[in-house]
Amino acid sequence: MLNVLMLGVGQCGNRILDAVNKEAFGGGGAARLAKYYLRPKFPSRVETLAVNTAINDLKELRFTTAKDRLHVPNLHGVGANRNVGKRAFMDNRDLIMGEIEKRGDFDIAFVITSTSGGTGSSFTPLLINELKRQYREITVVTIAILPAREEGSIYLQNAAFCMRELMEVDAEGIILVDNQYMKRISGDIASAYDKINDMVAKRLLFLIESLDSEMLSVTDLGDFKTVMNGGLRIGTMGFYQADSKNQSIRDAIENSLKPANLLFPSHVADDAARAMIIIQGPKEHLDVDEITKEVERLTASAGHVFKGIVIKKGPVKVLSVFTFASASELESIYAQAARGMQDEKDKRCRARKQLDDAFAHIEDLEEIY
Amino acid sequence: MRRLVYLLCFACLLFSVLLLASSSGKDDTDESDEITFKDFSLNIGDRVDLGDYRIELIEIQSVRDGLAVVRASKVGGALDEQRALLLDSSNNFDGGADHDGITVTVSDIFDEQSARVRIEYKEGLGTPRKHASERPAAALDKPELSVQKSFEKNQMSVGDVVKVIISVKNTGSGQALGIKADDSPPLPEFSYVAGYPPKIKETLDPGESDSAVYVVDAVKEGSIRVPAMTVSYTDSKKNAKSNSSDPFNIQINPKSKADLVIEPASLTTIPLDGESLLNISISNRGAASATRIEAEGTVMPSDGLPATGLDNSIFEIKPGEEVHYTARLSGKSPGNYTIRLKVSYDGGDGSVIREASAKVFVLEREYKYQYLLLIIPVVLIIAWVYRRYKVYKY
Repeated sequence: MLNVLMLGVGQCGNRILDAVNKEAFGGGGAARLAKYYLRPKFPSRVETLAVNTAINDLKELRFTTAKDRLHVPNLHGVGANRNVGKRAFMDNRDLIMGEIEKRGDFDIAFVITSTSGGTGSSFTPLLINELKRQYREITVVTIAILPAREEGSIYLQNAAFCMRELMEVDAEGIILVDNQYMKRISGDIASAYDKINDMVAKRLLFLIESLDSEMLSVTDLGDFKTVMNGGLRIGTMGFYQADSKNQSIRDAIENSLKPANLLFPSHVADDAARAMIIIQGPKEHLDVDEITKEVERLTASAGHVFKGIVIKKGPVKVLSVFTFASASELESIYAQAARGMQDEKDKRCRARKQLDDAFAHIEDLEEIY
Repeated sequence: MRRLVYLLCFACLLFSVLLLASSSGKDDTDESDEITFKDFSLNIGDRVDLGDYRIELIEIQSVRDGLAVVRASKVGGALDEQRALLLDSSNNFDGGADHDGITVTVSDIFDEQSARVRIEYKEGLGTPRKHASERPAAALDKPELSVQKSFEKNQMSVGDVVKVIISVKNTGSGQALGIKADDSPPLPEFSYVAGYPPKIKETLDPGESDSAVYVVDAVKEGSIRVPAMTVSYTDSKKNAKSNSSDPFNIQINPKSKADLVIEPASLTTIPLDGESLLNISISNRGAASATRIEAEGTVMPSDGLPATGLDNSIFEIKPGEEVHYTARLSGKSPGNYTIRLKVSYDGGDGSVIREASAKVFVLEREYKYQYLLLIIPVVLIIAWVYRRYKVYKY
C-alpha cells in the first residue's frame, strides 16, 4: 500500500486539498453530510495537511479535519510577498516539518500549491527541499496551479519566480494546472474554481488508486517517477470518462489526450516527452489489443508511454499523465510576467521621480510657526 | 105394552133416584164422626185450639233425638197433660181420635224452637185454630262454630316450612261442647313437622274462639287442593253439630336455592412495590338464603403478589343481598397474576361452590433510565455529530 502525503499549501492548495478530502467522502452534495458519519475513503494510506499563514483561509475548509490544518503564524498571510513567505517558512520550518513528521513515512508526496500566491509560491520550493532532505526516498510531485493572466502582475511575477525555483529543487516533477485555461469550463469564476478543484482532486485520487491497484497491466510508482522525470519534468493530466453510448476504449484514450480534457493547454503529439495511460473499466470493455495499438500509436509521438489497465466495474475511465518536451505556453507566461514586472518597475520609477520633483519645491524652505 | 114398559122403566128410575137420595141423607149423619187431621208449624208457646181441646208446643227437647214436649189440655180441666213426644210417634190424648179424643204426632222438628205437629180428630170436634204465642220467643241456646283453615302463605317452595292455622269460633248463642277438629291426614306434598293434630278447646262459649297451629314442610312441588277440615260439637242439649272449612288451593314451587355470585373488581394494576385494594362482592341472586359461606382466594403465581383479606367467612346472605369485602394486594414482583376466588356455601340443597378470577398486573418499575434509552441514542448521535463537527471545526 502506498503511503501518500498530500500537502495543500496556501489558499489555492488548501482548497484543492479540501476537494480531495471531499472526493474521499464520495464527492458531491452528499459529502457534506457524509463527513459526519463516515471516514474519508482513500485508495491508499493518504495523509493530508493544509498549510497556510492566513488563518481565515484555513477556516474556509469544510472537509479537511482541524488537525490536518496547520496555521503558520505570520500575522494574516504574507500579502503575496514571496520574501515574507520564505522568512515565515524558515521561522516555522520545525513546526511545519514536525507536523509532517507526525504523520509517518511516505512513498510519495503531492505538494499542491498555487504558483502565484504568497504562501504557496514561497513555501513550496523550500518545503520540497525540506521533504527531500528529511525523506530520502520520497517522490515529490508538485501540483502547480498557474494564475489567470489578468489576475495581476504580482501574481504573474510570483508564478514566474516560483516556477523557476520549483524547477531548481530536487522534485520528481511538476504537474501544471492552468486556471486561465480551465476557467473556460464555467462562466462563473467562483464555480469555475470549484470545478477546477474537484477536477484536480478526482484525477489525483484516480492516479493514487491506479498506482496502488492490482492491474492487468502494471503501472507503479516507479513508472510514474519515470514519466515525471521525462522532458522538462513538467507535465499535466488528462482525463476522460466514457458515457454509456460510446464505450470504445480507443475513443476514450484519444479523448483523454485531447486539449479540452487536459489541465494545461498543450498538444500531446507535439509536446509530450513521456506519458502514462491508465485505463479503468469493466473487463468486457477493455480490449488489450486495441489499447496496445492506441498506446503504440501514441508512443510514436510521445517517446515512451506506460500503460496501466485496472479492471473495475463502472464506466470506462482513462487518465493520462505526460511530461512536456517543450513548453511554449510557459514561455508566454514568463514573457507576460516580465512585461508586467517591467511595467511595474517603470511605474514605480515615474512615481518616485514625480515625488522627488514634488519634494524639490520645498527643498530650501524651513518650517515656519 | 110399550107404555107399560116405559112406565116400568120410569118407575125403576124413580126408584133408583129415591134410593140414591135416601142413601145420601144417611152419609151426612155419619160425617161428624169422620177422623181427619191437620198439620201445624208451631213455635214454642204456640197453641192449637180444637173444640175444648188446647194443644201447646212447650219445648224442643232434642232435635237429634226427635223429642218435643207438647201439652194437651181441655177446657174445664178434664185434661191437662204434658208429654215428650217422639218424632213420628202418635200420641193419643183423651182416648185418641178414634174415641172422640185427639191424637198428636210430631212429624218434624225444625230446630230448637219449632216443629211440625199433626193433630188428628173427629170432625165433629170442630175446626182447629192456631194461636201464636204472645210470649216473646225464648232466647236460643244454639252454638254455631265457624271453622277456618289456612296456610301461612299460598305460594311456597319445596323445603319451605309453613304454618297451618286452624281457627274455630263460636258464632252461635249457646255453648259448644265436645268440640273435635278433624283435619285431613297429611298430604303427600307435605311432611308434618310439629303441632299435628291441631288441638282446639273442647268447649267454646258464645263468641269465644280458639286456634291451633301446626307446622308442615313442603316436600313436593305442584298445585294442591287443600281439603276442608271439619269441626264437630254438640250444644248443651247434646245435639251434635259440625261445620267444615272451605277447601282451597295452594301452590308449591320447586325448591328455592341460593345462587351466590362472586365478583371481584375489574382489572387491577399495581405499581411495583405499591399496594392496591381488590374489592370483592358476593351477591345472592337465588331465592333462598345462602348460609355458611366460606370465601377463599389464591394468587397464581404465588410469589410476587402477597395478598391479605382474600379469605372471608359469612354466616348468611339472604336473597337479593350483597356482601362486599376488600383484599389488600402488594405488588412485589412485576408480572401478570391471577387471583382465583372460590366461595362455598350451603344453598339449601347441599354445598355449592362458585368460582371467579381476577387479573392483576404488577407494573414494571419505571426507571428513569428508560427515558434515557430514547434520549441516549439521540444524545450519542448528537455527540457523534458534534464530535465530527469539532473534528472539522477550525
